Formats: sequence, C-alpha cells, structure tokens
Amino acid sequence: MIRRFRYSGLFHFRRWLGGSFAPYLFIAPFFLLFIVFGLFPLFYSLILSFTNWHGIGKLEFIGLSNYVFLLSNASFWQSIWNSTYLWLIIVPIQTFFAVLVAFLLSLPKLRFRNFFRTTYLISYLVPLVAIAQVWKVLFDYEFGGINFAIKMLGIPAIGWLTTEAWAKPTLALLVFWKSSGFAILIMLAAIQSISREIYEAAELDGATGFQQFRFVTVPLMRRAIAFYVVIATLAVMQMFAEPYVLTQGGPYSSTTTAGYQLNQYMKYLDLGTGSANSFLLTILVMVVSLLMLRFLQVSDQE
Amino acid sequence: MSTLDKGKISRRDFLRLAGLGVAGATLAACAPQLTKTAEAPTAISTAIPPTAIAEPEGQIVIWDRSGDLFQVFDSTIASFNKKYPKVTVKHEAVDINAKLASTLTAGVDVPDGTFIEDVNIPPLADFFTDISQWIQPYAKDIVPFKLRVNTSNGKVIGIPFDLDPALLYYREDLLQNAGVDPASIKTYDDLIDAAQTIQSKLGMDKKPIHIERAGWAIPLQLEMFANQQNASLVNEKGELQLNSDPYLKALKWMKKVLDSGVGSLQEYTSPGDIQALETDQVAFYPWAIWFVYAPENLLKATKGKWRVMPLPAWASGGARGANMGGSSFVIPKQSKNPQLAWLFYEHLMLSPEGYKAVYGPNKIYPGGLNSSLPAYLPAQKEQLFQNPVGLGNQNLWDVAVSTVKDIPANYYYAPFYGQAGEIITANVQRMQDGQITPEEALKTAADDITAKLIKR
Repeated sequence: MIRRFRYSGLFHFRRWLGGSFAPYLFIAPFFLLFIVFGLFPLFYSLILSFTNWHGIGKLEFIGLSNYVFLLSNASFWQSIWNSTYLWLIIVPIQTFFAVLVAFLLSLPKLRFRNFFRTTYLISYLVPLVAIAQVWKVLFDYEFGGINFAIKMLGIPAIGWLTTEAWAKPTLALLVFWKSSGFAILIMLAAIQSISREIYEAAELDGATGFQQFRFVTVPLMRRAIAFYVVIATLAVMQMFAEPYVLTQGGPYSSTTTAGYQLNQYMKYLDLGTGSANSFLLTILVMVVSLLMLRFLQVSDQE
Repeated sequence: MSTLDKGKISRRDFLRLAGLGVAGATLAACAPQLTKTAEAPTAISTAIPPTAIAEPEGQIVIWDRSGDLFQVFDSTIASFNKKYPKVTVKHEAVDINAKLASTLTAGVDVPDGTFIEDVNIPPLADFFTDISQWIQPYAKDIVPFKLRVNTSNGKVIGIPFDLDPALLYYREDLLQNAGVDPASIKTYDDLIDAAQTIQSKLGMDKKPIHIERAGWAIPLQLEMFANQQNASLVNEKGELQLNSDPYLKALKWMKKVLDSGVGSLQEYTSPGDIQALETDQVAFYPWAIWFVYAPENLLKATKGKWRVMPLPAWASGGARGANMGGSSFVIPKQSKNPQLAWLFYEHLMLSPEGYKAVYGPNKIYPGGLNSSLPAYLPAQKEQLFQNPVGLGNQNLWDVAVSTVKDIPANYYYAPFYGQAGEIITANVQRMQDGQITPEEALKTAADDITAKLIKR
C-alpha cells in the first residue's frame, strides 16, 4: 500500500516562494528598518501636515489649512523662486561644464592627467564651513579681495553677500565650486565606460574631436547626465547648509531656499506647517525630476 | 494542491500585501492616538521639598552646552559632592538647541536639569517643573526681570543663570586723538556727534559706530535698544508691541547713523567686522557685556585699547542700562530626581562656593568668566572676575554692575520670538539698505508677525 504523503502548507508556501526562505530573510532587515525609519516617519509627517502641532499638546486636525497657508504665503513662493533661480544658474551650466571637463580629462593625449583630476576633486573634499568662511572674507563688501580687485579696475564695490541682486549668484558660485568635483567624477565614470572602439570608428569616419564629443560622447552619456541632473535638482531644492553658513537666508530672505525655509519651520517646532511644506516640496521635486527625465528622453530602450 | 499553487495570488502580489500588512501593523502600533498625544507631562511629585530630604541620594543627569562653559560647570561638581556626597552627577555636553525640544517631546532620556537660553523658555514652558516654592527664599535677591523671564503662568520654572547687561565699548585712543571726552556721551545723539567728530578729525574712512547686520543678532540689538526704553516685543499679556515708539526711535537712530556715513554695517565678529575693528574704523560698539570676548581673544592689533562705559540714554537723564540675552537652568517635569537637580543648581548659582567657582578665576578662565554677570544679587557684591586685559585692565565688573539697577523691568520673551526674529531681520535689513522707511519696516514686520505667528 502506497502511503500517501501530504505536504504541509508551509512546504507549499516555501516552494511557492522559490524554494527557500533564505533570500527573504536576508532582505528583511533592510525592509524592517525602512518601514520603521522611512515609511513610518513619512506617514506620520503626512498626518502632522494636517494638524497645527508644535511639539506639545494635543494634535488638532485643521484640514488643509497648512497647505492653504503655504500656497498663499509670499515667503513660501519666494523660497521656491530662490531655489528655482539657483537651479537655473547652477545645474545646466555645471552639467555642461562637468561633461566638457570630463571629456577633456579622458583625452588619451592629455598630460598631467592625474594632477588635473586631483585638483578638480579637491573642492569636493573641503568642508563646507571652511569654504564659507573663505567666501565671506573674499566677498566682504568693505575688505574683500574681490572688491579690492574690481575697485582697482575702476568698478564700484559690489555688495556680493549684502544685496539681493548679488547674494544668490555669490551663493551659487560657492555651490558650483564645491560640487563640480562630484559632477566631473560622475561624468568621468560614464565616459570611461564608453568603448574606445566607438571613438576609433568615428575617427575612421573622419569625425573631428568636437564631432566625436557631440555625436558620440554626449549621446552615450545621456543616462549619466540625466542621473546627475536629477540628483543635482534634489540637492538644490533641498539646499540648506550653504545658505545657512554663508548668508543665513539673507539679505531679507533672498537666499532662503526651499530647504532652508523648511528647516526654519522645524527649528521653531511649527511641525504641522513644516510637514506640509515638506510634502509640497516633494511633489514639486518629483514633477521637476520627471520633466527633466522626459526632456532628456532617457529610456531603457536607449 | 494549495490555492497558492493554483496561482490565485501571484508571488509578487503576496509580497506586496505582506509588505503593506507589516507597514500597517507598524503604523497602528506606533502611531499615537490622535486625541491623546504629547500632552504636557505631569511632574513627578515635587511635594517633598529638597530641604526635607535628610540625606540626598541618587543620580542626576545634567545637560550643558559643550565648550569652555561646560568645563567651568563641571569643575563645580566636586564642591557640590562635598555637600551631598551621595548624589552622583552625570554631566553631559549636549547641543541643547538641537536636542532639548525633541527629547522633551519624546520623553526618552530626559535630563534631570539642563541649561537653556532664556529666549527658548516660553515655547517649552509646559515641560518644566514648577520650582516656585523652592526658589522662594531667594526670589527677592534675584534681579526682578530675570525672575520674570523664568516665570510662566505665575509659576517660576527656571533658575536664572546670567545677566547680560548692555554696555558701550569704545576705543579710548581714537577718542583721545579726536579730542572726544567719553563722559560727554550721555545720549545716542551725543554718540552720533562724537562719531562725526572722530570722522572729521581722523579721516572720512572711519565708520565709528557698529550697526548690526547678522540675521540672528539684529533682533537682539533691537531688543536691547527697546529694553532700554522699557519696551519689549510683547507685553505681560503677550500682545505684540513691535510697532511702537521705542522701536521706531531705535530704527530712526540706526537710519540716522547709516545715512550720516558713520555706521559700520557688519555681522558681529565676522571677518569683515574684525577687519573693521582691527583697522581702527570702528570706535563704538554698543553691545552686551559678552563683546569683551573680542578684545580679549579675537583682536590682536587693538587689544588693550578698548574701554567700556554705560550705554548712552535715549533722552537726557534716561536709563543707561539694558539687557541683551541671557540663560537659565530648568528642571524638566520628566526628571527622575527633580529635588536633587534643584540642589545642584542651588549650589551652582545661589551659593558662594558655586558662583565664585563659575565666575571667579579657574583653570578654564584664568581671569574668571567675564562675559556675563550673575543674576543673583548677593553674588554681585564682590568682584568675581578680574579686570580684562583686552580692556586695558579696566574694571569691567564695576561698570557692568553699576548698570544693573537701570535695566528696565519690562522684559518678556514671546513664544514665537525665534520666528518673529526672522521677520524683523528681513525688514530691518531692507531699512538699512534704504529700501523702506523705519515706519514701513515696523508696520510690515508687525503685520507679518500678527498674520503668520499670532493669528495662526
């Protein structure tokens, strides 16, 4: 008599999962941590955004009041504009600059290649606070080296950090200088992944250096460029440290970025408004990022 | 054959459902009940006064800001333990501004006592122990406005630490060279006249009067000017007083200084400010006593050339004292040993062994802590810190103590002071740049504060 052997439900379940619990157990810690430290704060923040909580007392639902307040608040839109302005003068120029420099650094006939690569990376390694202090000295209205130089050329001194017109470009210059090393690193890695054979084929077809750059390098770097544009967009929209150490958001909030504005709400325990601000910022960044990817027409098919 | 094998639920769907289920369970378990969350804690019973404890015993965790001051406070633990040998003090250096609020809200690892800047007391007042009964024997000997700053809803919730009297720092040598007698500067108009004399005699490149530009410090300096005129950002009922004559007078004076070309518009001790001080451009620095840190430690070329005197008055015969900043100590309601924490702070601030150790010469400050005065009046009777070398060994103690009686008592911090400060700064900076008038600056700031901070 053949003894019928009934497999347990657990056995079927394990077989259905692929034969083993092990892979799921290995990835479970990450997901547990993500749920506790990522997902939970996200949902809790969403709940807070509909309240007027200041860190103590009862949570009182106020509906969409925080969102209405922010969307009708000139300070909110100014912070968005400040971030947008900084994006416009940093990201496109820096991306192009990084692609160009990375291309030049990857030229086989370039001399002192290692020296140049190291030099460009140094800015990325120097602490922000140190750079900010140097910026404050260089761009001081009364005593700064920059104004000293331009006054020698007969140009009146400029309030680089003290006027609305110049504070943002001066801040942007700091960000540009500080983060270009990282951008060049990304682009350099992308360029180095392009096969030499493609360049040789282009050379055989008579392509000049510029044509190789335009028709070979840039198209094949599109994914890296898209990647950098997206992370640079995130970085600019969340920017807090740079305006904090250099201008403290001034003069008169002209360098108060979206990230800085958000931090101010959190700093003063206006947690409801701060949470609403963070979600509005998240939506904005998602929209901008999707537009960027669309514009750059990056897809798996490519 | 199981239902799973029949494929009624795919593996991917199952994993998605499982993930959502775990997330939902986590949220349900961890999310606070929305109607009963983060209420102000109730204090551990403070019915037993500290004096009734025969042999105090236990451990207390005390938070202080990291830096030299932490080491100064740390050095007093030995003398505290001579009185209370069975009390262990776990002294921790913490970024209090960053950690205190969230710690109090979370209620986890709350210290038994902590340093706190006075401006941060009102928004967190509900978290602090009522020590009215304990401090009552000392109340009459504490500078009145300082006790008021530590009072919320009629209850004293903090132990005052320091007083930061505002003074007029000046360059004795520049005034001498220009023929200006410091004693002739009795009003703020006299100050402008003196500055113009210095400019005309010593060179038009001089910008003798420091006017503040930094975002964090503009509200401080403005409050100093207002306090001197017995005004405050809010009154005792919490009503905004910004758009009023004292503030207008201060801003108009500031504008007059800048329009006359005698103002040095710089951020406090920024590289540009230091340069202005070191190159003899600035002759007057109206600031809190803690500006002494600059001539003592930051300035090299002009060290020893600075002196100090009481502030000029806003009107002839008016008050020549004001306060600018200050800090205290508080005992959270969640403290495990509030009585022991009180004993520690009583020793630190209200006993001769304590305040002499803090303010007198020590290993950390060989000349003593000269950046503030004790708020406890008996401690002011005897000079505690030595004459600063940066002020040419002038008796800073006597000058500062002499102004304490003139500090007007009308001094209140609003719960929204921090956020209001940002709004005030933006408008004052616009006024400094000539974009708006002082009247417009105050009105706009007051309207913004009312709409964004008070009515919400």
